[in-house]
Amino acid sequence: MSASVESSTSVQGSAATPVIQALATRLRSDIGGERVISDRQELRTYECDGLAHYRVTPALVALPQDTAQCAAVVTACAEAGVPFVARGSGTGLSGGALPHAEGVLIVTSQMRRMIDVAPDDERAVVEPGVINLQVTRAAEPYGYYYAPDPSSQQVCSIGGNVAENSGGAHCLKYGFTANHVTGLTVVAPDGEVVELGGRAPDAPGYDLVGAFVGSEGTLGVATEVTVRLTRAPEAVRTLLAAFRTIDEAGAATSAIIAAGVVPAAVEMMDALAIEAAEAAVACGYPAGAGAVLIVELDGPEPEVVAQFDQVERLCRDTGAFEIRIAADDAERALFWKGRKSAFAAVGRVSPDYIVQDGVIPRTALPDVLRRIDRLSVESGIRVANVFHAGDGNLHPLVLFDETVDGEAERAEAVSGAILDLCIEYGGSITGEHGVGVDKARYMLRMFTDDDLDTMQLLRCAFDPDGLSNPGKVFPTPRLCGEVPGRRKGVHPLQESGVAEVF
Amino acid sequence: MVDAVLDALPDLLRPAGSDDVVAGVPARYVAAPASTEQTAEVVRVAAAQDLAVVVRGAATKLDWGLPPRRLDLIIDTRRLSGVVEHAAGDLVAVVRAGTTMEELAAKLAPQQLAVDVPLAGATVGGTVAANASGPRRLLYGTARDLLIGVTVVRPDGVVARSGGKVVKNVAGYDLGKLMTGSSGTLGLVTECVFRLHPLPPATAVVVRRVDTVCEAGILVTSVRRSQVVPSAVEVNAPPDGGVELAVLLEGTPAGVEQRAAGTQALLDGEVLPEPPDWWGGYPWQPGDIGMKAGVSLSRVPEALTAARAAAERYDVSVTVRGSAGAGVLYVGLLGATPPEVVTGLLDELRAICEHAVVLTAPPLVRDRVDVWGPVSGLGLMRRVKEQFDPDARFAPGRFVGGI
Amino acid sequence: MTTTSQPPTPAFDDHHPPRAELVADCVHCGFCLPTCPTYALWGQEMDSPRGRIYLMETGLHGEPLSQSMVTHFDRCLGCMACVTACPSGVQYNRLIEDTRQQVERRHRRPLRERLLRAGIFGLFPYRGRLRLLRGPLRAYQASGLQRLVRRTGLLRKSPTLSTLEQLAPRLRRRERLAQRIPARGQRRAVVGMLTGCVQGAFFPDVNAATARVLAAEGCDVVIPRRQGCCGALSVHNGREAEAQRFAKDLMETFRDVDYVVVNAAGCGSSMKEYAALLDGDLKAAGFAAKVRDLSEVLIELGPVAPRGPVPATVAYHDACHLAHAQGIRAQPRALLGDIPELTVREIADPEICCGSAGVWNLFNPEPAAELGERKARNVLATGADLLVTANPGCLMQVSASVRRLGGRIQLAHIAQVLDASLNGRPLPTV
Repeated sequence: MSASVESSTSVQGSAATPVIQALATRLRSDIGGERVISDRQELRTYECDGLAHYRVTPALVALPQDTAQCAAVVTACAEAGVPFVARGSGTGLSGGALPHAEGVLIVTSQMRRMIDVAPDDERAVVEPGVINLQVTRAAEPYGYYYAPDPSSQQVCSIGGNVAENSGGAHCLKYGFTANHVTGLTVVAPDGEVVELGGRAPDAPGYDLVGAFVGSEGTLGVATEVTVRLTRAPEAVRTLLAAFRTIDEAGAATSAIIAAGVVPAAVEMMDALAIEAAEAAVACGYPAGAGAVLIVELDGPEPEVVAQFDQVERLCRDTGAFEIRIAADDAERALFWKGRKSAFAAVGRVSPDYIVQDGVIPRTALPDVLRRIDRLSVESGIRVANVFHAGDGNLHPLVLFDETVDGEAERAEAVSGAILDLCIEYGGSITGEHGVGVDKARYMLRMFTDDDLDTMQLLRCAFDPDGLSNPGKVFPTPRLCGEVPGRRKGVHPLQESGVAEVF
Repeated sequence: MVDAVLDALPDLLRPAGSDDVVAGVPARYVAAPASTEQTAEVVRVAAAQDLAVVVRGAATKLDWGLPPRRLDLIIDTRRLSGVVEHAAGDLVAVVRAGTTMEELAAKLAPQQLAVDVPLAGATVGGTVAANASGPRRLLYGTARDLLIGVTVVRPDGVVARSGGKVVKNVAGYDLGKLMTGSSGTLGLVTECVFRLHPLPPATAVVVRRVDTVCEAGILVTSVRRSQVVPSAVEVNAPPDGGVELAVLLEGTPAGVEQRAAGTQALLDGEVLPEPPDWWGGYPWQPGDIGMKAGVSLSRVPEALTAARAAAERYDVSVTVRGSAGAGVLYVGLLGATPPEVVTGLLDELRAICEHAVVLTAPPLVRDRVDVWGPVSGLGLMRRVKEQFDPDARFAPGRFVGGI
Repeated sequence: MTTTSQPPTPAFDDHHPPRAELVADCVHCGFCLPTCPTYALWGQEMDSPRGRIYLMETGLHGEPLSQSMVTHFDRCLGCMACVTACPSGVQYNRLIEDTRQQVERRHRRPLRERLLRAGIFGLFPYRGRLRLLRGPLRAYQASGLQRLVRRTGLLRKSPTLSTLEQLAPRLRRRERLAQRIPARGQRRAVVGMLTGCVQGAFFPDVNAATARVLAAEGCDVVIPRRQGCCGALSVHNGREAEAQRFAKDLMETFRDVDYVVVNAAGCGSSMKEYAALLDGDLKAAGFAAKVRDLSEVLIELGPVAPRGPVPATVAYHDACHLAHAQGIRAQPRALLGDIPELTVREIADPEICCGSAGVWNLFNPEPAAELGERKARNVLATGADLLVTANPGCLMQVSASVRRLGGRIQLAHIAQVLDASLNGRPLPTV
């Protein structure tokens, strides 16, 4: 893997090239010396995002304060031919913000102004470094909230959400970031500041907002984001149902969907994931559960009341041995606490683990889980399962101990095999964590060369020089201007040693 | 007579007839492929022969946009029809582009693709290409929000897919969003995968008639701030005065009954079993002028008032109708309205709304008004077009900025 | 840089380096970032808990203890909000304490810094020396000299001096405490009371109130006159040997009591960690098990004294060393909630430190002032007329910040509010 550089223990300084030195000087004068980091030890704290498996020390870190400063940084990079990578809170789980060794890491954590909270427009305009949950906090006094709620919502940034098209537990009913962003100010990879969309829907022209959201930082840097604010629901009711087996919990999910109910969320955890969550946050889930299901309904009171009884009955019919109904916000928070802390909590039951993210059609859930179980038994690698059951988004947590010889490799193999299962069942290799650097090599299993070439057309329109987060999403770079689909022989970049093929 | 084009694909191509005209520009050939592969074959021939192409479904919106700069081949999608797969348990359907929305609705019950059809007979492909929508966009969004996978034949004939058959999927760029609303300028969508919704067991409509558009605007705000969670909030302001506000509620029988009662009390309106007859249609007839404006929600009352005031000032007949709750308004004028009046009204709308475009107009008007208005991000859009269609053969000149 | 032929000395030696297995517990999820006061201020990775742990890791792998690395360790307030936020259970408190003693032993600070630190550590942990300050300070505050000095601009030249000057509470006459105060009614426990260095010197009223409240709730209160410092400041600043000495002395002072009750959050949290400080010493573990915060012991014993009304709207401020280090959040709220006619309001962003953090505000006056003002703004926004907390440092920091913002709010230690309710004493008027 070319982009994977293991943590270097070298104490030698990585001497900045003259290009980087000149760039550093220019950036210091453009945006201020205190906003440019070049100290090696400081740079190293930016080596990885939430996926610590891949580490690359950036050549420079820039922390712009606003759109103009961000544009200055990107312009300087473009003129110097230096690649850049944008990073928000650094919580991504696919290595999407992995720095480029000869590039600038543009960190948006100082761009955290809430520019406008406009409940009358049902919109908020925020800078990319604003934390997801802060948008909701700002809207709450007006009776609104920001619907996409990734599990990391207390720390992840809106800019990162835009890059990854983040989802969350409630996207079953409310959709993803792409459905909640109506406008963007973008610094294009040549440094030009472009306004896309706005507060009103259906701006004329191509839906570049839709194309940009989820492009993982490869089309430029978003510096202002206009998001929808959603009316806070009148009623929220949450139940926690405990089942003996995953199959029963899966059957309950299918029954709920088949009944025409669209819950705000349907989340499932298996026994191992429950164990980890208990160890971490003492969420007090029912003892002896092989699986728990969290079902949340929200909306107008009479609708929630009508549907809740139905959901409760369906859970009992499919074998729930205990059903708890959250009496208040505190109890609901406790139900969710176990679920939302599950990833990091697995650290309590295993020294090392891989968080996988794949999607299958919901109806394939029982089959795929049996196959995962078989993989686990065959390899001796434990797999804890946490998923957004409502939309078939699996988060298997593959547990291993790096100090045990060969275990890391076997875990990696199991993790990869799970993605193959997702593809086999007509699903996707990522539901919300993104492709990043981690899954670029799987893209060819899901898409043809022609599919990827077509995506590259969009890339070339925005970033003909390939400076914006290069090496992410796509397994092999294609030079813009090449005739699509007619590539022959060795890739020119590869031949010149600029890029390695995975 | 030897015709290289017809000879290349004799089974799929025919010479154009007198009806094969796009916004006044006649075509030379018509192709009607029945599969993605055949479509690709046709498009490759078009590429090899440098033919300018316009894609046509049911032709309900073929008069939208500007006339093509040049036109050789119309690719008719109506043979590309049928539901390929309806995975009811997964609430997903794979549909060919030439399928009509009505046919699709019949196949999917008791589920639905939650996109309204303003013009009867429209195809799935045409709905996506125009990003057409109706009242229920307020709750469900538009085609861009429900399209989760797409198969496209690029202008060079290469077949590409993006997305997939699962709702939650962030692998690669979402080309479906790029294609939605692109008016066939980037390629030909042959197959769509949609996220579905269950059909609601019960619906109700609450209607309130008021005297002024301003009043209607204020009522819209009160509905949006309430907890009734409407699926649609529509206004209709016909030229002869009197404004109607209609709110659609969907859900369980018990829930809808209570919410309808709540809405009725809120609006001082009446509950109807069916929407009013103007519901979901554009406020214009063939040959009229049709506009669409996008406005931030807080300025909806202002936009409604301005349109009404302009109608009185210019003494022309103006109908405003649309999804006031979502910030989308349609404006209809008689085809004989003078171009300078149209321009005046457009300017006033553009001063209040974020954007206002002319969707359809008679040639005399269309050629003398700025149909698209200012478009932000046009430079990037041109670069996208150049990448996908470097020879500008797909619907050349029909879209924003001469794309 | 590249010309170095010899690898530089690694950051840590073998004496209690930050433990690699604790470092490895961090999965880099970033949940700690928004609760970290320095990340809130500057938004830079190396000034976040995750970044500091990363620096420790690079240090364990051979990076030298450079000035830049030390700066980022020094900037940590030690508020432990990150420990609360961490879903993986990373023991950041252990990591930063181990790191700090490495820094203190192995890093040579610039002269100016060394002098400042010597001054502060030669003063604060010593009640006798602090008390000597009281006289001149009272004179300074009373004589009009304060206004004069403020006008000279002298304070602007030394941010630390200015901070000290602003922080110093208005002093009153000190009430002398008896060495043993008998329980009112039936005796339920014998408790030793820590009077604390800063609390004892600057907030003697709080100690008197604490003793009266404990007595009212049925405790024999033992207050040894010759008690020293608990060692909190030393341990939080990497002065390990000094901290150990203080700890041993204090353990000797409190014997034959059921509980050792502490009314200063920072002291309590350190005393509960004596076992770790003294390398797992059993006696220390036994002592630590008896340490209680005032709120904690009152809830454990349960109320017996009747509660009188205190008509006030109070904002309760979580002291970091109470909420994060000791996990005590519910108890003070429950105690306040039981007082008739008293309304408790929550302060926004309660997890973010007020910037006091022991003596951090003296070493880092500007950022401390910024944090203090953020906190003060949130406090004032509650509209409460009384701010209640359980730590002298927070009281001084927040009151100075409120004054700077031109705001007005009464301040009280929770002991004083309880004293008002249980014993009918007047609330302090600051």
